[in-house]
Amino acid sequence: MSPNEWMIAGMGIFVLVCAVAVIFSRSPIYGAFGLVLCFFGMAGLFLAWSSPFLAMIQVLISTGAVVVLFVFVVMLLNLGHGSGGGVAGWVTVLFASGGIWTLSLVLLRALNRSPFYPAPSGAQGAGGLRAFSKLLFTDYLWPFEVLSVFLLAVVVATYVVARPEAGNVARKENR
Amino acid sequence: MGAIGTGALYWTHYIAISLIALGLIGFLIRRNAVVVLMCLELMLQGVNLLFLEASVRTGTPDGILMVVLIITVGAAEAAVGLGIILNLFRLKGTVELDAFRSLQG
Repeated sequence: MSPNEWMIAGMGIFVLVCAVAVIFSRSPIYGAFGLVLCFFGMAGLFLAWSSPFLAMIQVLISTGAVVVLFVFVVMLLNLGHGSGGGVAGWVTVLFASGGIWTLSLVLLRALNRSPFYPAPSGAQGAGGLRAFSKLLFTDYLWPFEVLSVFLLAVVVATYVVARPEAGNVARKENR
Repeated sequence: MGAIGTGALYWTHYIAISLIALGLIGFLIRRNAVVVLMCLELMLQGVNLLFLEASVRTGTPDGILMVVLIITVGAAEAAVGLGIILNLFRLKGTVELDAFRSLQG
């Protein structure tokens, strides 16, 4: 096994352990900590897959923006111990887990035998940042522009949904 | 970085699909709305890993581009979702999903 494969295996186990910690966290703030570690593990996996740019993006956006947002909301709503929300009944847990793992095994089998993958002797790399940027501003220019408009809409929508008056109006209508 | 053997490819499949499955299980069994959103993020990470693996394997940067787009959309989704949760908390005083039954009829 090459050092790269060791890194992929180790980081993968780390990510999965952190994901389990997120799911079974007693308090949402522990879930957020698990999510941070999980995102860092994913950045390590991206590094092992020879794309340092993605690893950097992952740390900046996922860890720096998304998880901070989660932590802010947990602090704002004061969701400490006792507000973990628990887990659904054990029948639901059993059937959900069994069904989903079965589905995943089917998916895995299909994926490993997919003709889409040419079964290479080794990965050849994705072409680096230069090829990526060229593609972004030629073939994928339309999705890129749509995404920028989408982000603008998200900014406005988040403000409209989360402003204090919105809650008051909804509460009045609820009465 | 050195060459990546075929063993690593299969492990990446296992990791990615386990991540998606774990996220889906958490999404179904948890009752806290904030944790449910975190599980959504976990599922997005699994999809990212599959895209990256396919991209590196076929030698084209398209998958990496999809990963960047997914990360962007994921961040936006978290922002809107948390805004909605804030509003729901103002409405009912809790983030337990069982408390929101207004649409049940």
